[in-house]
Amino acid sequence: MAMKYFAGTLAVLVLAAAATGFICFQLSSDPKLHAAAAQGDALLWLRTDFHLTDAQFAAIRQLHDSYAGTCGEHCRMIQEATRARDALAAAHGDAAALDAANRQLQGLRLVCETAITRHVRQVATLMAPEDGRRYLALVLPKIAAFDHLAAPDLHLNRPH
Amino acid sequence: MKPSRDSLSEALASWRATPPADPNFRQAVWQRIGRQADSSWPAYVRSHAAVWSLIAVIALGAAGYSGSAVARAHVRADRDAIVVTYLVDLDPRVQAVLKP
Repeated sequence: MAMKYFAGTLAVLVLAAAATGFICFQLSSDPKLHAAAAQGDALLWLRTDFHLTDAQFAAIRQLHDSYAGTCGEHCRMIQEATRARDALAAAHGDAAALDAANRQLQGLRLVCETAITRHVRQVATLMAPEDGRRYLALVLPKIAAFDHLAAPDLHLNRPH
Repeated sequence: MKPSRDSLSEALASWRATPPADPNFRQAVWQRIGRQADSSWPAYVRSHAAVWSLIAVIALGAAGYSGSAVARAHVRADRDAIVVTYLVDLDPRVQAVLKP
């Protein structure tokens, strides 16, 4: 009989522990963030994670839209410079010309990094101060860490 | 003739009971206590309350902490993933690699 009560008590305890774990999981989860990540919807993420009002969200969306043109232009210039550099490298031609092409490419990438940094700082100013600081703390280190080539662990499968 | 009160008192005063010692007395008492403790589930839990309370505190605490830690790890992973998605959209350096 004691064995039966032991097993019963243990079963109740296991159920209570499972329920406790589930409740704590739910309380510490962020379903909106998860939905945004699952959909790859960065604007939804900005809106929910940084508590944007409708006005703030509209202003940030407008800023992103206007930045898209700059981004496209930078992208085109980097592609052209990369192609030119690769052509020189493939031809095994003038080393000085190859160095110059590499420097031009590095310069374009630096301009690009500066432009992104300026853009995200503008976005941060449209948020509440604390949210803006948190946004910059999340984004700026990653901008600096982004290499000129897509890192293999970034799962970059969404060209825009 | 009835015996007098005094003689009865003397007889009781001089009476001595000397039962044989039972070596299993203690064991029998504990067995009876044990049987009573296991007579029902609440009685079983009450009789082992200290041990089960300790186990419950440890198990519930560990389960709560684990659930919370797993959720926080998910939040971190989701945030990292969406930040990368966001920056891929913004970063021409990455776009230049991705675009044909």
